[in-house]
Amino acid sequence: MINWTSWLDYGFMRSALLAILIITPLFGLLGTMIVNKKMAYFSDALGHSALTGIAVGVVFGVSDTNLSMVIFAVIFALLLNWIGSKSTASTDTIISVFSSCSVAIGLAILSRGGNFSKYSGLLVGDVLSITNREIIYLLVIFAVTILFWLVCFNWLNAICIHRALAKSKRIPVRLMDNIFAVLVALIVMLSIKWVGILIINALLILPAASSRNISVNMREYHLFSVIFSLFSGVLGLILSYYTNVATGPMIVIIASVIYFCTYIFGRRCKN
Amino acid sequence: MKKKYLFVFVMLLVVTFAGMGLTSLYVQRTGGQEKEEKISIVTSFYPMYIAALNVVGDTDTVKLTNLSEPQTGCLHDFQLTPEDMKLLSTADVFVINGGGIEAFMEEVAASYPSLQIVEACEGIALLQEEDEENAHAWMSVADYEKQVENIAKGLAEADPAHEKQYQSNAKDYCGRLEDLKERQQAVFAAARGQNVILFHEAYAYVAEDYGLSVSYVMDLDEERQVSAGEVSEVLSAVKKDHVKYILAEKRYGKSMGDTIEKESDARVIYLDPLNRGDYEKDSYLDGMSENIRLLEQDFGA
Repeated sequence: MINWTSWLDYGFMRSALLAILIITPLFGLLGTMIVNKKMAYFSDALGHSALTGIAVGVVFGVSDTNLSMVIFAVIFALLLNWIGSKSTASTDTIISVFSSCSVAIGLAILSRGGNFSKYSGLLVGDVLSITNREIIYLLVIFAVTILFWLVCFNWLNAICIHRALAKSKRIPVRLMDNIFAVLVALIVMLSIKWVGILIINALLILPAASSRNISVNMREYHLFSVIFSLFSGVLGLILSYYTNVATGPMIVIIASVIYFCTYIFGRRCKN
Repeated sequence: MKKKYLFVFVMLLVVTFAGMGLTSLYVQRTGGQEKEEKISIVTSFYPMYIAALNVVGDTDTVKLTNLSEPQTGCLHDFQLTPEDMKLLSTADVFVINGGGIEAFMEEVAASYPSLQIVEACEGIALLQEEDEENAHAWMSVADYEKQVENIAKGLAEADPAHEKQYQSNAKDYCGRLEDLKERQQAVFAAARGQNVILFHEAYAYVAEDYGLSVSYVMDLDEERQVSAGEVSEVLSAVKKDHVKYILAEKRYGKSMGDTIEKESDARVIYLDPLNRGDYEKDSYLDGMSENIRLLEQDFGA
């Protein structure tokens, strides 16, 4: 029989658990607003920009690519917001253009001399990359996000429901949009090394989408989203340990199962 | 309302138990039969496993495991999974090639300071390549022989009780490698000094064994995209140095090789880089002997 606690004997699994306990509630929380604001594609593009961030770091010889990744993603997010508000083309077109362009630049630089394989770990994520320093970053961003949510959630929600009305009520629409985008950028960048570029977006979207299937008000929406996110994170980590599978994909598989269950349940209820 | 919370609770419970159930099934099917062994040796990848397998021979107090899959090939882009870390945490000796092929070694050494590491490339003069070391030393029979000796020495230090067995196994194995080296001599005499192009950095050791002079190296490895500029560089190198032969690996070099054969008079010889295969004891000997045969055929030795 399997010893279901043996995974706790290893330091790297304990750090991974800690990181998941801090980060998954944030995914759940921010996810609710991303789904509401129809920004799924935006966060996806952000995830992909990690490649470029690393490439920029490599070019400038930055030793800690975390730093260049975060800075690049923040600039990228702000730029997307800005262009999105100026341009007449639809947002998904603009995001697509920026996303492809940044991925292409990242791939071009990182594949110089046929060396891309060194970075392919980024695509699926590596749970061993969680170090104490990363956990400290995560704690800081956790505190900032919770604070932001407590203070500004009503404004964000108002903007989301009716932008023009919110503006007329003197809510700083542009500022809120930017702060939100920066927060998403920070969280995505700090977790991308262990979740993986290909699936990080699923972690932001799936818990919130599942929760939306069954909730009737904001409170439920948040509650279920955070619960689903935490649950898939912890269970995914444990199962990935015993089955020898990369952790990020395992978490996403569980989150997807939850999504399908809630989808069926939600439809039943409505009928 | 109540129904919904009940649903969520039940759903999460079911997912948990289903996940755990499937996992235990999987774990039981894949590896429940672990027994207590006296000494556990882990090798990093295929050539090291085959070398260690021959050194260990039928010593029955040893458990020999390979960290990567037999088809993984070189470990350039290898990611350690939690399962790998677990395996290393129970190992006594870790046999690696060294020279930078195991890029994850820093991590391993930091996590398991007491793990004994046997570096097969120790004391071997590795070929240099721009600013990096080329560590594919097993492609040279002479260097591989030294690797086998290093492994035998390392294992003897870690497990002194079986020192004699390791040494005599290594001696037998090296004797068979000597036969290969004799066959190499004939090719060496016929091929020496000729210009070749390599499509795999490991073949620099082949060139070294036969005294070939390398005019161009293009490392066609996993996930490598070739640009049109590089194709023309190869072609102009063929022309400039009158290259007659190109050494390539079939798996990654076939399409490139076909292009070059079409565009020039050079012939492509497809050698086995011996970095993947089955867990047969003699697979290195067989593979190398086939490589020598191909070279004999083309160089007319």
